[in-house]
Amino acid sequence: MIWKIAKKEFLLNLMTFKFAVGTILCVVLVSVFVPILAKEHQQRLEEYNENVTANEAEIRKVMVYKNILPTVYRPPNVLSVFSEGAEKRLGTSAKISHLDVPEISATSNEVNPYMSMFPALDVSLILRVVFSVLALLLAYNVVSGEREQGTLKLILSGEISRHQVLLGKLLAGLMTLLVPVTIVFIIGLLLLMSFPMIELTTSDWAGIGLMYVASLTFISAMYTLGLLFSTLTKKSAISLVLGLFAWVIFAVVVPSGSIYLATQLRPLESQEKLEAQREMTIQEYRAKELEVSEKFPHWRGPKSDAGGAFGQGYTVVCARSCLDDASKAYPLLKSIESNYGDSIWRIELHYIRSLLRQNHLARNIARISPISVYENVMSTLAQSDLGSLQGFIDNARAYRNEITEYISSKTDNFSSYSYFTICKKEDAMEYQKRTEPFLESMKSENKSDRERARDDFDKWKNSIMAQHSPLDLQDFPRFSYQPAIVKSLKRAIPDLMLLVFVNVFLFALSFAAFVRYDVRSD
Amino acid sequence: MIWHIVRKEILENLLSLRFMLSLILIISLFAASTFIFVGKYRQESGDYWKKTNKNLSDLRKSLSRLNDLAFHEQQIFRKPKALTLCVEGYEKSFPNYVKFNIFNIGLPEVKGSPNFTLPHFSDVNWVFIISLILSFVALVFTFDSVCGEKEAGTLRMVLANTIPRYKVLLGKYFGAMLTLCIPLLVGVLVSLIIVIVSNIGGISRLQWLKILVIVILSLLYLSAFVFLGVFVSSTATHSANSMVLLLLIWVSLVILIPSLGRTVSSMFSKTPTRVELNRRLLEAERQIWDNSDRFGKNAGNSFPDANDPRMNLPARARLHNALSNVKNGIIEDHHNKMMAQALIGRNFTCLSPTPVYQRASEAITGVGIGRCADFYQQVKRYQENLKEFVRSKDTEDPDSRHLIFGEDNSRGAFDWRTISKKPLDFIAVPKFQERDLALSQSLKLAVWDIGLLALFNLVFFTASFVSFLRYDVR
Repeated sequence: MIWKIAKKEFLLNLMTFKFAVGTILCVVLVSVFVPILAKEHQQRLEEYNENVTANEAEIRKVMVYKNILPTVYRPPNVLSVFSEGAEKRLGTSAKISHLDVPEISATSNEVNPYMSMFPALDVSLILRVVFSVLALLLAYNVVSGEREQGTLKLILSGEISRHQVLLGKLLAGLMTLLVPVTIVFIIGLLLLMSFPMIELTTSDWAGIGLMYVASLTFISAMYTLGLLFSTLTKKSAISLVLGLFAWVIFAVVVPSGSIYLATQLRPLESQEKLEAQREMTIQEYRAKELEVSEKFPHWRGPKSDAGGAFGQGYTVVCARSCLDDASKAYPLLKSIESNYGDSIWRIELHYIRSLLRQNHLARNIARISPISVYENVMSTLAQSDLGSLQGFIDNARAYRNEITEYISSKTDNFSSYSYFTICKKEDAMEYQKRTEPFLESMKSENKSDRERARDDFDKWKNSIMAQHSPLDLQDFPRFSYQPAIVKSLKRAIPDLMLLVFVNVFLFALSFAAFVRYDVRSD
Repeated sequence: MIWHIVRKEILENLLSLRFMLSLILIISLFAASTFIFVGKYRQESGDYWKKTNKNLSDLRKSLSRLNDLAFHEQQIFRKPKALTLCVEGYEKSFPNYVKFNIFNIGLPEVKGSPNFTLPHFSDVNWVFIISLILSFVALVFTFDSVCGEKEAGTLRMVLANTIPRYKVLLGKYFGAMLTLCIPLLVGVLVSLIIVIVSNIGGISRLQWLKILVIVILSLLYLSAFVFLGVFVSSTATHSANSMVLLLLIWVSLVILIPSLGRTVSSMFSKTPTRVELNRRLLEAERQIWDNSDRFGKNAGNSFPDANDPRMNLPARARLHNALSNVKNGIIEDHHNKMMAQALIGRNFTCLSPTPVYQRASEAITGVGIGRCADFYQQVKRYQENLKEFVRSKDTEDPDSRHLIFGEDNSRGAFDWRTISKKPLDFIAVPKFQERDLALSQSLKLAVWDIGLLALFNLVFFTASFVSFLRYDVR
């Protein structure tokens, strides 16, 4: 019997004006938005590839271990077409160096700050806004409308029980809404796959499947909300107005208001304090560095300019004293640097934790709106949420340790010559041997003699330089970051369960209201 | 006769559930937003004055000599405005800080930015409430204005009388408008009362005028939506259908079209990046140094003694001034490009009345992207004034060589004596003061948008008029 009602309602719904207009609007919006978004994604993919290749090329040029300072990039995720989340607001790369520990940050200065006046645009916006309205519009008159027409009392005068009627209506609504959701996903995917650079992996497909399920759960929640209003009121016009006001509150007021409240209730750590602490640490670091420099005055030695990959120089051929100083100074400096990096990180972490706490509170407040819950689920499944970016940064941090380990093992805890110079012991000896006659001949009166001596010396130095090739970094650890769907699913489950709960709760309420509903028409 | 209909409409509306709901929602939003505004404004003004006073005290400290004034780096922040109560204009995430000395000026930057992990959101303020919620309420009031009466069967009775159709239409329109005025005006009043009671500094006459203009603008904006509602209502046969259509139109106009701005911007123009800016700056610098002889012989040489024959100080001054000019020009160009990129998207979104209304009220209150541009210009003008001031003071000193250029302060002033070292009176130094635009100027900025809003009104009015004339009332 439930099926009969559901089928009748479903067929009736399919023929309504609202269904037609809503579906057409969705189709049009998806066909306009998805190509634009896909193109943007393609651009980001190209940029990412360029960055990674440039980084690789630099690594191949590395002459001394000290100069291994790569940057790691987070591959752009194709699912962000469906939900942009926090991806564009947060930095998606991390520089690996001795001094800074990777931590989440705002996008770098690359971005035009004036563009922040436009809200984000993705497929989930269409789903969030248009489908929720459509669900409310389908649901608002299922009970109160039938009462007004007088058909409700006819149905209930038969043998059928009330819960069957209500379940039938729910099923019908879900079946009807299934149609546009499915169409949107299919069209979106087809358009997405028509782009040659975009490839969908198994984990992407799993993500899309889960997003589809989440979308259905969300829309059914909005439908049951409409159903509740319909069973609470006698006139369909009133249930419509109630539903729409609820929608405005959920879609417009709550998302802005929650952030607003969170920023008021949980203010951030002061940035000035942060700056002051940072300044202090920097000064301490400088003082310690100076101490080491004074102890080993020759450690810097003659440097090449920026020839050594990642814009860094390295020590070239020089006297033994320089090399000895340096090999003692570098391990000390390295430990000072790493201490400094850690303490700066701790200071920053303190501030970032306050940002995250605020973010957390805002999200929790926003959870009173199913629309915000759905947004959370979508961005989590699309791996564009804060948690996923944190995962990337954690990986980058682990990678930094790995590199430090690697360099330390290769260079005998940063003390061997290969850490900072291309000059070998023999070269240094030779250098010393040649320096004396060179200085002697520089004292000569004859100008051409002086020039010849300088030329000879330079020639020898250059020949030493030319003998050296970049380091062999075959066993160098590579950065790998694969966003895992399992992890993001784990993060999404609470919100998904919340959506399911909203469904059950609203349906139970509407059932309770419907059992006591006065079916007599005026 | 029109007033008869208007009165009936208003009375009917007043008794309806939708009126009660919208009144409660809107007034509570106005009140809540104002309370939050008051707290925020207090804190922001406090911060602003702290920073500005720090800038001034730094200035006073380093003001022992004229040359120090020339090289002193001032830090200017944008002033928080009381009228952000009405419209905020995304200023939170816009650059609010400029650093400069009399030779060089940097790009405006975002300082003290809010939590970057949170999405950018617009504050709940008057324009937010009016453009999103009240426009929605306007449609809720009008979706059944024609077809609802037809369904009830009262429309044909009305038209059976001698009253012409346009009068019925206007009656409906004014009825809805006057009903909308109630939550709007009450909300505004509540908000203003809270502001006045909380005593955060008086509202000047200019501000009162601007508030008045904003209220009028809001009415113009809402009127477009009322006409739209009446239009759709007079094309539909069932009020349910007209509601569906109106809702989808509302979603498109108010939510979807404004979201398209970013995409349109990045589609039609390339994002100017910092990397590119730095590359251009380096390139320009290199070019000038490479062709240093263009500014005079030995312009590129520098020696500690000013009378060294290998050095040509006037040529060096010309070189440095050319360098600052080129650099400042490149930075300004970059800034203009960023603005232009954002404005492309903004202009596109003006297909919908909502961004038009927002833009007009931003222009009136003097916030938003236009204000950022204006602020930068004002700082630049101030920089010019300061330079003029330094120059005029410098001419009074017979010991100086009167060569004012942006090379290393200690070397220029002490070794070369290019600029006066005379002590200076702090009072006489011009100080930066951000000026608000006068009402007439703001109106001039907003005139196109007001015209556009009027055009939206006209189009929707004509459409509703035509379709109502041909409406089948049976």
